[in-house]
Amino acid sequence: MTTTLEAVREILVKKYSLPSESIKPEATLDSLKLDSLDLVETLFEVEDEFHIRVPQDGSINLKIATVQDIVDIVNRLVPQQIPAQLVSDH
Amino acid sequence: MTLRRVVVTGLGVISPLGNDPGTLFSRLLAAESAIRLITADGPRGQYSVIAAPVEFDPAQYFPPPQKTDNLDRVSQFSIAAAAMALKDSTIRLTDDDKRRFGVSWGTGMGAANTLEETYIQLLQRDPDRVKPMTVLTVMNNAASAHIAIQHGLSGPNLTYSCACSSSAVAIGEACRQIRHGYADAMIAGGAEAPLSFGLVKAWEALRVLAIPDRANPPASCRPFSKNRSGLVLGEGAAMVVLEEREAAIRRGARLYGELVGYGSSNDSSHITKPSVDGQAHAMSLALADAGLTPSDIDYVNAHGTGTALNDVTETRAIKQVFGERAYKIPVSSTKSMHGHLLGGAGAMEFVIALLAMHRQAVPPTAHLEHPDPECDLDYVAGRGRRDQNIHGIMSNSFAFGGTNAVLIARQTEQ
Repeated sequence: MTTTLEAVREILVKKYSLPSESIKPEATLDSLKLDSLDLVETLFEVEDEFHIRVPQDGSINLKIATVQDIVDIVNRLVPQQIPAQLVSDH
Repeated sequence: MTLRRVVVTGLGVISPLGNDPGTLFSRLLAAESAIRLITADGPRGQYSVIAAPVEFDPAQYFPPPQKTDNLDRVSQFSIAAAAMALKDSTIRLTDDDKRRFGVSWGTGMGAANTLEETYIQLLQRDPDRVKPMTVLTVMNNAASAHIAIQHGLSGPNLTYSCACSSSAVAIGEACRQIRHGYADAMIAGGAEAPLSFGLVKAWEALRVLAIPDRANPPASCRPFSKNRSGLVLGEGAAMVVLEEREAAIRRGARLYGELVGYGSSNDSSHITKPSVDGQAHAMSLALADAGLTPSDIDYVNAHGTGTALNDVTETRAIKQVFGERAYKIPVSSTKSMHGHLLGGAGAMEFVIALLAMHRQAVPPTAHLEHPDPECDLDYVAGRGRRDQNIHGIMSNSFAFGGTNAVLIARQTEQ
């Protein structure tokens, strides 16, 4: 089963042509040259990939600084928003 | 205070008759029409509409890694035309120059395509979300912002929207920015991309579109002709580089002409019905602004939409301002060939009028075979005329909402 980190990494590699090895959990979005709009677009793709909705929060770009922050949001929202049997099928 | 003078040093177009000014003008002189029946996908299968579409390959103007996902068609046209005009001007900008260089852009309906796609997506497919960059794609200043970003132009950045005179207003107001010293150069113009399903339906509903000529679709738009039946929607963008005259001469720029007059008025009477007085007022204001008289104007590029009302009203307004001279100068509507570019029309037609002066050739009004007794000027029926003697041109733009904008340019000795 694909881990959340691997799935997020795949999104970033595909969308921004980033080298896969640069996308470490502790890597900041700044260091990957991703700006606030890139974060918004990334969250859109993350929503599609994990079948979740990231709640509206106008200060989200202050709360997400690293790749791990994105992974954490996914890992928190998936159990909240997806019924258990669907998660295990993913 | 002595006002500074303004010259045009660069032209760029994405037009139904080709994506460079030279091709556009040559095809106009040959009375070639870009108007045709196009078919597109609608919600209940294909539909057809008479229109003047642009042939445009985004990859040609936005090579990888540039992307166009977050640029509406109207912005793509504009960015491409702006880059073309800047290149044509051969201007080389220092960082200081860029701080004194602005953008002035006009559109009637802006990023209508993206807005329409967004509603279709929202109402038919996913009521939950739309593309993340939707706001930034449809905001009306998107095109002018992207032009500034691409070229680092940090002077005034302005977007005007007054229907079919939008881009003429954008050019006129840009001229004032330079005249009054707020900027040393401006790239100015506008665009429209109105051939989406919803907008075509909206224009149909207003009952101003021409009846398609089934036997000869390119001849569907017939301004000033007795058998005219309405306007034909076109799309595209036109941009001009305006510079303070002395600086342009110092750097040895090629001068297409001096922008000497701008007149702006409103009919203040009816949301669509044009007014002779309102149009005449704008023409008179432009002449006064230029310090010229009708005898200084040798060609008028008419608004000439091909609607029943416009062409008679404009003819009367020209006669009111020009008197006997109205009968002695060519007045043509190139919309008969490139269609009505709405918010982009004023800039496109100003470029055409400048080229008429630059090349001493007048483009025709195509498909004028049945004269209307109420339209009795020299509309240059048939093909264009070469070897003219043109020292001053006027370009008319009139709009729903009543905003009239008239631009005048003169030849400049280098």
